[in-house]
Amino acid sequence: MTTFAELLLNGISMGAVYALIALGFVIIFKASEVVNFAHASLLLAGGFLVAELHPSIGFWPALLAGVAGAALLGCLVEFLVIRRSKAASHSVLAIVTIGVDIILVTELTRQIGTDVMAMGDPWRDKVLHLGPVSIAQTRVVALLIAGVLITAFLLAFKYTGWGVAMRASAEDGETAALMGVRLGRVSLGAWAVAGALAAVAALFLAVFPTPGLDRTTGVIALKAFPAAILGGLDSTTGALAGGLIVGVTEALMTGYQSEMAFLGRGIGDVAPYLVMIIILLVRPAGLLGTRELTRV
Amino acid sequence: MSKAIITVATAAAAVLVPFYLEAFWLMAGIFAMSAAVGAIGINLLTGATGQLSMGHGFFLAVGAYGYVYLSSDSAGHLGGLGLPTPLAAVLAIGLAGVAGGLFSPIAGRLKGAYLGIATLALIFLGQHVLFNAEPVTGGYNGRPVPPLEIFGFTFADSPELMVLGVPFGGAEKLWFLAVALLLAAAWFARGVLHGRPGRAMNTIRDHETAAGVMGVPVARYRAGVFVLSSMYGGLAGVMVALAFQQTVPEYFGMLLSLDYLAMIVIGGLGSVGGAVAGAAFVSLLPQLLTRYSDALPLIAAPGAGGYSPAEASRMLYGIAVVTVVLFLPGGLLGLVSRARQALAGKVPHPSNPRSAR
Amino acid sequence: MNRFRVRAGTAGLVLLALAATSCGSGKATGGSAQTGSDGVKQGPGVTDDTISVGMISDLTGPYAPLGKSITQGSQLYFEQVNAAGGICGRKVEPLVRDMGYDVQKSVTAYTELAPKSAAFAHFIGSVTVGAVRQRLDTDGPLTLALAWAPSLLGSKSIQMTGTTYAIDVINGVDYLAKEKGLKSGDKIGHVYVEGDYGIDSLAGSKYAAEKLGFQVVEQKVKATDADMSGQVAVMKDAGVKAVVLSISPKQTASMVGVAVSKGLNVPFLGSNSSFAPQLLATPAAPALLKGFHVMQSASPLNSDLPAMKKLVADYRAKYPKDTLDNGVMAGYTTAAITGDALKKACANKDLTRQGIISAHRSTSAWDGGFGTTMDFTKIDEPPTRTTHILQPDKTAVGGLKIVREATASDLANGYKIALH
Repeated sequence: MTTFAELLLNGISMGAVYALIALGFVIIFKASEVVNFAHASLLLAGGFLVAELHPSIGFWPALLAGVAGAALLGCLVEFLVIRRSKAASHSVLAIVTIGVDIILVTELTRQIGTDVMAMGDPWRDKVLHLGPVSIAQTRVVALLIAGVLITAFLLAFKYTGWGVAMRASAEDGETAALMGVRLGRVSLGAWAVAGALAAVAALFLAVFPTPGLDRTTGVIALKAFPAAILGGLDSTTGALAGGLIVGVTEALMTGYQSEMAFLGRGIGDVAPYLVMIIILLVRPAGLLGTRELTRV
Repeated sequence: MSKAIITVATAAAAVLVPFYLEAFWLMAGIFAMSAAVGAIGINLLTGATGQLSMGHGFFLAVGAYGYVYLSSDSAGHLGGLGLPTPLAAVLAIGLAGVAGGLFSPIAGRLKGAYLGIATLALIFLGQHVLFNAEPVTGGYNGRPVPPLEIFGFTFADSPELMVLGVPFGGAEKLWFLAVALLLAAAWFARGVLHGRPGRAMNTIRDHETAAGVMGVPVARYRAGVFVLSSMYGGLAGVMVALAFQQTVPEYFGMLLSLDYLAMIVIGGLGSVGGAVAGAAFVSLLPQLLTRYSDALPLIAAPGAGGYSPAEASRMLYGIAVVTVVLFLPGGLLGLVSRARQALAGKVPHPSNPRSAR
Repeated sequence: MNRFRVRAGTAGLVLLALAATSCGSGKATGGSAQTGSDGVKQGPGVTDDTISVGMISDLTGPYAPLGKSITQGSQLYFEQVNAAGGICGRKVEPLVRDMGYDVQKSVTAYTELAPKSAAFAHFIGSVTVGAVRQRLDTDGPLTLALAWAPSLLGSKSIQMTGTTYAIDVINGVDYLAKEKGLKSGDKIGHVYVEGDYGIDSLAGSKYAAEKLGFQVVEQKVKATDADMSGQVAVMKDAGVKAVVLSISPKQTASMVGVAVSKGLNVPFLGSNSSFAPQLLATPAAPALLKGFHVMQSASPLNSDLPAMKKLVADYRAKYPKDTLDNGVMAGYTTAAITGDALKKACANKDLTRQGIISAHRSTSAWDGGFGTTMDFTKIDEPPTRTTHILQPDKTAVGGLKIVREATASDLANGYKIALH
């Protein structure tokens, strides 16, 4: 029972981190209809900045710089590449983000080299004990911060001018543009928010349980893809649900892998994809995604 | 007439190359031609029909492992059917098609990003199976690939063969096989693209609703093209397996699928020539860089400034994808045809941007 | 159009004629052995004044940190050999290729280097070597493989150094029973990464556990997993008395760190690839210094052997900025084994592939001054069954010091290696 509770808690907190990444992914998709495969590199860039800067300017300023840096990088990608891509096809836009990802990741891994970089966070390896259940403090903080950020975002999405503009442009770009919504600005903002969220996620992917940031940290962003899809690619709450489903499935399947040996060893890592396929078979637009209707 | 010159020159190269180039370049060429076959397949799907697939590597794996399982004799803990190799190759391609067909409940209904990421699942689930289904796949270490044997002629180093004084080993023989298969694959795909199905596919890509209204069975077409592209992937897988002589699960990962997408974007979407050009670019670039930055790969210690050949080629490859999308919408192929039109003093007609085909 | 067909046909004929003249091309010379001016039979990669030695390394992939040290270690050896007059009156020319731990690149690198190399001084990785196994078996050069999977045994041209993963673990579990007081009926955990490395290590712990009456609690992880909290929870829940780790260095840091903070205070034993000196600079350092041991066949850089001290000093002089790790030692020894095989083959006046392999396979006790005696005569056996038990130490060169000298336990000696 203790193991179950620990696995569940870990799953939920990892799920919250995946949700941060998936949310960024969904925001970009809503604002510019791009499936952003460069998300992993935004995440790695943010984390790298934090790890690189904290020894000289302290942790909190470094975190701020990392978040700002990743947001800026997101803007740059939008401004220099996405906006200028003449090709209208969504597939091509998705592929161009793969190109961007390769460029950024190659450069970042070259910078990181063979190091395992510490993040310099104040929580270190402290553990919180709740009766017999213990969980790393970083995980609790991750859950709290992710919760706060996601709530803040959902509120902003609903009530601020930017949120309204974004929802309008996602609903119908042309009409929104005619109504005076500046689509470019909305899309730029979306990329910035996504970058910032990814940087925060990077922090929590590289602190305790994990020894630090290294060249492979960005790979974890891949787990946010099924999270975003199974929640529904155009649904922000879907991203939250998807993230949690992926985190919990993965943690439980890994923890109980010996009981599920018939599925093959290492099932935990592919479980999110399995869940995703099953959900897509039942609901092709994901759990909370909108089914596309076309009118002629 | 210029087209004829190109045809003759290409044919000349294809025939002469094995007589002059060393095994390294032949191998690189065989890989490039296998990649070209796979790229033609995904170009039918992603380029011509607008369906994003990130799972192409999975179908290569089905082809490669299918061939090995069907043609190997079962030995020890590894199973096998011991079929004649040409039959195994054909069945393996069929098997890749069946795998694509089984995915059609999803492939037919989903599109764009949803399909892209759903196919990503194929890669991860597929690799999971490759690692775990040991009696079929050999697990982590993979399995040796039996050489192809057609009417007593074996595509391997032994028995030794001398042609015009040049020793013909496995690489030289496979080269000609690859050329033949690539030609056949390209010819068939051209037929599909230029005929009725091609027009229907392009309509689905450009305007799905209109296609439906015009009587194109959209879901059926999508599923069908998915199967066809899977079979191309399967053929590429068989070719790669024959060249490798050993199949290993590591190879069939996500990067392989991404490479295929990069190929068709760089070469030119929706055409056979584009797929071939892109495949050549993506698979030969790292080889060229590694070979000719000969001041040792240690030129740049990681993190010490400067790029190692592998890093440089990744970088150039990423830059090529971005540059092509930003500045050369037709890909390499579009560039060539524009250059040709410019030389001929013709201005490309705006209504026909895909004249490059 | 018909005229074009005719022309194409003519062109085809011209092509054939051209191809026919290709008898004059470089490829038509054939590759049979020649005899050098000094009476030594020469195979591929050997001329009158050079011997080319290939190295297929990972300089940009997941094993890049080790790959770099290995390659530089090998290059250091050949530089020293050349400075001392070379081998057989010939200069040794190292040919390095980076394959980034990518199977396709590795096959291509092999295809390129094989025809012009007398031997491979190192070839990293079991999958990458496995991919060219068939070719190596038929007519490949002597190849020093840097991977310790049993699948690399059984080929006359492939040589591993040290012992297999399984035997390291058997010796390690034996150490647990003898020195850490584990008794029959106790549970031991084993966290391992998918692939040869993990699977073979697991085979070792299962074998040893069966013989000693232990029970193994196994957990498999993926190479990309970074957070080992789940594994620690399972181990703690199962009440294990010790944990064997066959994972990556980064995963080791997570595992040991989480275990200490969650109060799982048991000994940890890591396989030789589970540790890197870089870890001692991470927050996991205190935990690693406390309860973690490494099982490794090769002597650590910190040992007192004169040859080792010289290697450390020479490497520092040549690469002052680079980390000293096990790779340096691995690269240097594989190069030295290759060098000695070439010298022996030279003495036999036979530098063909076959000659070099025969010379190598006739060496029954090689240690090069590095403390581990290796027997290369049996192709189905690793050259040794001994394992050191080491412990991390911040002040030690390479970050590891010796806790128990190399020993081959009775258990390890009785283990039958399953060949593929």
